[in-house]
Amino acid sequence: MTKRITTIFTGLARQFFRSPGSVFWTVAFPVILILIFGAIFDSGGFSSYDLYLQDLDGSDSSRDFIQKLRDTEVLNIHTVPADEDIDSFITSRSIENMLIIPAGFEKDLQSHTAGINLSLRQDGTSGTSMAVFTTINAVVQGYNLKLAGGENYILVTQHDIISEDLSYIDFFLPGIIGLMIMMIAVQSTVGYQTRFRNHGIFRKLATTPLTNAEWLIGMMLWMLVMVGISVATVMITGILVFNVTMSLDVTSLMIIIISTGLFTAIGIIISQFVKDEEVAGTAAGAVTFPMMFLAGSFFPLESMPGYLQSFAKVLPLTYVNNGLRDAMIYGNTVGALDNMLIIIVIALVVIITAVAISGWKKE
Amino acid sequence: MERNVITIRGLTKKYGNLVAVNNVDLEIRAGEVFSILGPNGAGKTTTVEILECIRKATSGEIEILGHDLMTGSKEIRRQIGVLPQEFNAFDLLTVRENIKFFAGMYDRRADVDELISLVDLEDKRDVCFKNLSGGLKQRVGIAISMVNDPRIVFLDEPTTGLDPGARREVWEVIRGLRAKGRTIILTTHYMEEAEVLSDRLAIMNNGKFIALGSPSEVIEDHGGGQICTILGGGLAAMHSLKDMGAELKDNDVMIQIRDKDDLVRIVTSLDHNDISYDEIILRRPSLEDVFLKLTGHTIEGGELID
Repeated sequence: MTKRITTIFTGLARQFFRSPGSVFWTVAFPVILILIFGAIFDSGGFSSYDLYLQDLDGSDSSRDFIQKLRDTEVLNIHTVPADEDIDSFITSRSIENMLIIPAGFEKDLQSHTAGINLSLRQDGTSGTSMAVFTTINAVVQGYNLKLAGGENYILVTQHDIISEDLSYIDFFLPGIIGLMIMMIAVQSTVGYQTRFRNHGIFRKLATTPLTNAEWLIGMMLWMLVMVGISVATVMITGILVFNVTMSLDVTSLMIIIISTGLFTAIGIIISQFVKDEEVAGTAAGAVTFPMMFLAGSFFPLESMPGYLQSFAKVLPLTYVNNGLRDAMIYGNTVGALDNMLIIIVIALVVIITAVAISGWKKE
Repeated sequence: MERNVITIRGLTKKYGNLVAVNNVDLEIRAGEVFSILGPNGAGKTTTVEILECIRKATSGEIEILGHDLMTGSKEIRRQIGVLPQEFNAFDLLTVRENIKFFAGMYDRRADVDELISLVDLEDKRDVCFKNLSGGLKQRVGIAISMVNDPRIVFLDEPTTGLDPGARREVWEVIRGLRAKGRTIILTTHYMEEAEVLSDRLAIMNNGKFIALGSPSEVIEDHGGGQICTILGGGLAAMHSLKDMGAELKDNDVMIQIRDKDDLVRIVTSLDHNDISYDEIILRRPSLEDVFLKLTGHTIEGGELID
């Protein structure tokens, strides 16, 4: 059994390294994505964005929160007096980003009883809105961790997160890793399955002692290697070019491994229903493209309309992205484990379905 | 007496109400080249796929190399080799790597370099599969079907789509396998191929074997005597000899000779009706004629047209 799996693995590996297209999509494509998006939204970490801020609470806690925003070094904070009429202020000065800290911020923060609603008013057409939102969101995430995790938890993780130069690229890189896992696993699996079926390779293999399970294990192992190559490329580019600080701990590794299995199984299911090689590629695109844009790979889910946010909750990539961000950037182990649990449940259902329907014997 | 390597009794395969293979009996002997001919939908592919352990029979008993197919399919799979129809190996692997890949699926395997020599591809061993011609690709496929040193080799339309030269090269490889004592089960659309290569053959139609034996036996049994062809006879000759079962093909008229007086009757009728023609030829019926007669399917250039 091991020998047959090894044979499949080495055969697929040889095919991959001799295919410039496969190598491009696995290695060069994520690098190009990072460089382009990083250049647009990050500019190497030296850009900063104007944020107008009205503090209606005027407490120590609100001032502390504002200082945390300043510490990111991404935002130029301009304070707006508390008695200023915001609507006319925004209109008269063409303000793009305005954050309002509500009265009672400190009281609610200390009591933990009521939710605090920070109002961020933005010009949606502005190119800076995403970066500003992401930065504020990262600081808010830190506060939420403080509230949920207790004293010790704050001391261990919270300070580090907030003191980092969190920017769009910090948000973006785990999203790209999630995206690449999905693209590689779904597209490659669909490609292999339909091509090998149409070329008679499966029919040939069906006459050998090789079992369907051995084939699937061999293919999934190779998918993991391709994903590993792509993840390493993304991380090295992010660290070298944009000085991103991200960690690859056990939780993030587990998320990568489980989601590779999940998306490989999705690819197998697609290829069972679409036999033609070209049509199968299109079908794979029809599944992956909406997930690419709606699962929070490029933009925070919070920036999308409510109905799209609801839709994102049924997309497996959403939980992969969220889990990877929690584990690799925010250091939110609890959040990462929550997302991983959801991924495991989805993966179990999808993998069992794929194995059940993918027998290559005619009956 | 030759030992049977495959014995089929009462094989039936149904898809819902459709009976693809209908209560078929067959014996295939060790070391022979056995061809199965038939139009699409005749049931030959289904029959062969059941023997290859890909499909399950609805009913019937099948014994392959002493193993019951129902209980011994694992062992059977180890001892058979298959070249599927329209098989293409991995495009970006070399000839040697492809053969080695499929050899890796078996515990018992033939020497890869010997297989390359067997199909005469020594100078192509390090060439990627995608860069080979159609004929060379089929030779790689045949080598792949031999990776487990099988006792029975199934070749499913191994020369379809090849030019005549490449087809003959593949024939030589098949003859080489036979010389090594392998039993070969061949499905083909080419009548000449079946006639030239087969020790025995079966013609299948509507799920049943309608002719079985050596090519000469099948022709003898079903050909019905010699065929008289009146070259350039045209429509006039056909009408004049309609009572004798004349058929028009292009501008030639063909009549089956049933007894020695038929030829005299033909010439007399042509003279009597003052019908002009170029030449009269007498020949033995070919496998193509038999196939046409038994199945009613058209053949062009030696290949079955469905």
